[in-house]
Amino acid sequence: MLVLNRIAFFLSFLYLFLATSCDRKKPGNDMDGKELIKTSVLSDNAPPVSGPLLLKRRAMIEKALSSELPLIFLEEAGREELSAQQLAVLDTLFTENMFEKGTGKPYLNEIFNVYKARPQEIPQGAAYGTIYRVEMYNFGLNLTTTALVDLTAQKVLAVNELVQTQPDIPLHLKDVALHIAVNSPEVIEALGFKPGESEALMPNTKTALNNTRCEESLHLCVAPTFVKDEKALWAIVDLTELRLVGVRWTHVGNAGPEKRISERNLRYDKIMECYCSQVNSVKKDEWQLNYILTSSDGMRISEVTHRGVPVISNAKIVDWHVSYSNTDGFGYSDAVGCPEFSQAAVLAVTEPRVVDIVEGGKTIGFALEQTFNSKQWPMPCNYNYLQRFEFYRDGRMRVAGASLGRGCGNNGTYRPVMRIALYGSGNTLYEWGESGWQPWKKEQWRLQESRTRYTPEGYQYKFSSPEGKGYYLEPGKGQFNDGGRGDNAYLFATRLHADRDEGESDLVSIGPCCNTDYRQGPEKFIEPDPEDIENQALVLWYVPQIKNDDRKGSEYCWAESYLENGIYKTRSFPCMSGPMFVPIGNQEPIAFKEAK
Amino acid sequence: MSLRIAKKLLPIALIPLLFACEEKMTQGEIIQIGIASCRTLAPFIRKMDFDPKRSGFSSSESNIKGIALVEFPVNPGDTAQKKTWQDPTWAKYGWMGGIATDNRGNAFTAPVPKVSTFDTPLSRMNRIYKIDANTGKMDLACELPAADTSQGVVPYAVLGIYYDCHGSKLYVSTVAGSTRDDEKGVIYAIDPQTCDIVDRVEGIDAVAVFVGGITGEKRLFYGSARSSEVRSIELTKSGRFKGKSRYEFTLDQLGPRGDDKARRIRLDPNGNMLVFGAEFNYSLAVQNHRLEDAYVFTYDRMHSKWMHQGH
Repeated sequence: MLVLNRIAFFLSFLYLFLATSCDRKKPGNDMDGKELIKTSVLSDNAPPVSGPLLLKRRAMIEKALSSELPLIFLEEAGREELSAQQLAVLDTLFTENMFEKGTGKPYLNEIFNVYKARPQEIPQGAAYGTIYRVEMYNFGLNLTTTALVDLTAQKVLAVNELVQTQPDIPLHLKDVALHIAVNSPEVIEALGFKPGESEALMPNTKTALNNTRCEESLHLCVAPTFVKDEKALWAIVDLTELRLVGVRWTHVGNAGPEKRISERNLRYDKIMECYCSQVNSVKKDEWQLNYILTSSDGMRISEVTHRGVPVISNAKIVDWHVSYSNTDGFGYSDAVGCPEFSQAAVLAVTEPRVVDIVEGGKTIGFALEQTFNSKQWPMPCNYNYLQRFEFYRDGRMRVAGASLGRGCGNNGTYRPVMRIALYGSGNTLYEWGESGWQPWKKEQWRLQESRTRYTPEGYQYKFSSPEGKGYYLEPGKGQFNDGGRGDNAYLFATRLHADRDEGESDLVSIGPCCNTDYRQGPEKFIEPDPEDIENQALVLWYVPQIKNDDRKGSEYCWAESYLENGIYKTRSFPCMSGPMFVPIGNQEPIAFKEAK
Repeated sequence: MSLRIAKKLLPIALIPLLFACEEKMTQGEIIQIGIASCRTLAPFIRKMDFDPKRSGFSSSESNIKGIALVEFPVNPGDTAQKKTWQDPTWAKYGWMGGIATDNRGNAFTAPVPKVSTFDTPLSRMNRIYKIDANTGKMDLACELPAADTSQGVVPYAVLGIYYDCHGSKLYVSTVAGSTRDDEKGVIYAIDPQTCDIVDRVEGIDAVAVFVGGITGEKRLFYGSARSSEVRSIELTKSGRFKGKSRYEFTLDQLGPRGDDKARRIRLDPNGNMLVFGAEFNYSLAVQNHRLEDAYVFTYDRMHSKWMHQGH
């Protein structure tokens, strides 16, 4: 069963890759830097590498975390070094940060190096020769603590903390890094063979240890590098999480690799080249669509068809307005988008992904997802947003988004501004009311509230062509089984103009953070003179209003860090919102006329 | 050579002559550039109940849009004792970035976007504002040449601003109009009295700008916005650009992030160069967390080499 699960996981991962990545061309010597970037691989969804070395490492971690001192001691060292280590760990200042303050939970700590102190490290007056420097790394806090130990006096002379600093890694961790690299399918596939561990160029020097950084995760990372022909393959290994971050080829000149590869440029370059600079497409379950990551409007899908028939022209989230109720006017108008050279405040640092939608054990559709996050999320005043487009085999489609917290407080309201440009030039929008479906003759807006009327099926609006074919719009009321608690959404309908850009291209920022009424931005395309919208090309603007919650058991639009195996992990509580589009009469999607 | 060609070549031929006409600088004079300060306290501040030794302009006070006058506490940790004051005109033009003060106490600054460009659209960003030393009022001082504001350009304009006491020039770096593929930034040398552009270097996206003489030449040092490099261009005595940009050193692999861009550069009284580095990737994300680290470099004149001393 386990094997079957693994195969299924692998197949879904394989599909995901084929569906969303750049051209999977083999790297060639004649490729320029940008072409080589396209061949890089991010390993965010890859299963962890296994093997005896990693089993041993994990056992060491487990043992350390269950000990009185959550510490992996340096084992292979001389007698004096071991004595220095023992003296250091008896010092309360040296061990001060081994446990999380408040909870008392252990961080994973490890003695990386013990060596005879260099002359410049020895305090004035201390004798050279018997002073040892002990370096300890805290994986949870990304903190280095050093102790200067006087073996003659049998005491610790000084303790120093270096925040966000990593010491040189010990030999056994170098072996772990190499093991992860050479056993990773991404490395083997890139090279075309499984490399021997001796082929990795990673001299145990400071330069080699510092030759890469994980600037986003702030984890301990190293980069085993493999040279093949005229190129070098950088495999970035995260030693905090014991996994491969990704691989990237560079050209090797006479002066070595042209660029130092780190987690940040691996991610940013890949996303910029493959998703921000080119349109990608997905074809699955009789659906077909294009998508691209924008500078400030998140992921934009376009030319969406089902069974070859156009459904919508395009859809995106132009802004996330976040306001806090305790301070008038305090909040942010967050644009999300590409990681560099963009107007985005919250960035795409992972690749888009395609995931199956499964209900009752049966796959009923798929979703295209993209997350955007602040670097220090889930720390306060950092944000994480999920954009999700759902496509069902029965022809339904949903435009959705979620905040994953954490923001600047527990009294925040998120208002994503979703823009959906309908396909066709002859649509009419109808609203359900006391007397059935009533058309909207002019551009306007409406708030979904407690007295809102819905059809028995739960529809609030529909749009259709003169032939009566179109889609119902079902707003979120907590019925979508995704944890959503209702959208309380504004819906705006505006006319799409061929000669006037009202958001078809990137909208830098459509509105301020903190308006608590209908003034979320789209009204500027309506007021002061609403236009006729019957039988026209239409744009729908859907703006849910979601209040966050940090109460235990009720968390919503929230995230928190927690310690697991001595390192920080994140637990998030998404608040999904967004409308479902249901084909009228559950029939074939209508064939709209081309918008002019 | 025809007269027409000769006329065209004449200005080019005159350039070396122009530099040759500039008065020569002594080594003693050069070495003090960037160390000796001419900055004075604005007369309007002297009339206020602010300790001049502990006070200064700031554009990074939380929840204060624009510029604030801050009196820092005697004990840096005693934040409750921090005093701030703001003239209404200082918040009128949105969030501001670097601040440079001249020898009369005038302060110059420029808009930067904070999280979004909603408050200050790109079309109004390539400008210099001045807080008048006497009135204390802030107003538009200089409009830099208009840059491309179409889709795809970076959401920033002025990133660096520095007043050179030696040449009495304001140096301003702007990246307005730059795109991912085209580095279209400009460093301007400006006469702060008239806002006349005295000279310019094009095709450089720079964050920090600073004028110093520690290498034995009067040079404009700048931190590249596209890499972690600190580079420099020689200046004449009056502050015009002379020669080509040259590499000085890099912040690559230094500090907690390893890919900082030089955001501010200064020389301390001992001639150590202090480089304040921060993350910068031409998005609006970095404004959320202004993490900055100081890196210290010294210049070995014997070997014409910079040495990193730590951070």
